[in-house]
Amino acid sequence: MSLFSTTFQTIENGISYASQKQQTIAQNIANVDTPNYKSKTVSRTSEFRDLLHNELEAYQTDSKHIPFSDSSQRVITQQGNTSYQANGNNVDMDKEMADMAENQIYYEALVDRLNGKFNSLQTVIRGGK
Amino acid sequence: MTIFQNMNITSSALTANRLRMDVVSSNMANAETTRGTYVNGEWQPYKRKMVVIQSDRSPSFSSLLHSEINKNQNNGVKVTDIVEDNTPFNLVYNPTHPDANDQGYVQMPNVDPLKEMTDLISATRSYEANVTVFNTNKSILTKALEIGK
Repeated sequence: MSLFSTTFQTIENGISYASQKQQTIAQNIANVDTPNYKSKTVSRTSEFRDLLHNELEAYQTDSKHIPFSDSSQRVITQQGNTSYQANGNNVDMDKEMADMAENQIYYEALVDRLNGKFNSLQTVIRGGK
Repeated sequence: MTIFQNMNITSSALTANRLRMDVVSSNMANAETTRGTYVNGEWQPYKRKMVVIQSDRSPSFSSLLHSEINKNQNNGVKVTDIVEDNTPFNLVYNPTHPDANDQGYVQMPNVDPLKEMTDLISATRSYEANVTVFNTNKSILTKALEIGK
């Protein structure tokens, strides 16, 4: 049994997703008046890439080569064929704001859980004293 | 992905929206300016100005590569141009005006205060939305500093 269970990795993954999502939301809101801008979303997990990662390995002869995929990568998709404004922009301000509020709480919950894990580890290290 | 990427994106939008407000100010201030530009020995009234907003994608190799592999799309906004509105000037009958023509008509700027106020409110709202995003980013970063405390 490892000292650091996979929970850490799971939480870390979640935090990285939340910060990427925050960046995407920031981008969408920044571009709310940009003509022809299409809003972007981050996919939570990228099953396709996971599959790709398992099935196909890029042959790297140098550490600087770009790998085919790494698990930290998420797919950012563009919402193509809709328009909310006459200028071709499809950023839904209300949705973005709601998503951002949700994302913030999600992030804080994850940090809280991470701290909880650290605290219980500390308790174990101190021998319950 | 750098820590302050979010803030850079948001602040680019704050700058762009502030410029929009500045342009509205300029238009409103010059709503009665009959001598805006001097063209071929003749005064032309002030022309209404508009901003052109574009998604900012810096043309550097690394940013293009990263956006291609979907890793770090650095899209703030950028005001690329300020263009003049070429709709015809308003003709106002005022024979005593120093810039009146032979028939007594004065060319007034093509500024519509109603339009300007709408643009101003739109820019203000976008600015406020981006301030909210900025504050959220800030609280997320502050929360991240609490990890392990």
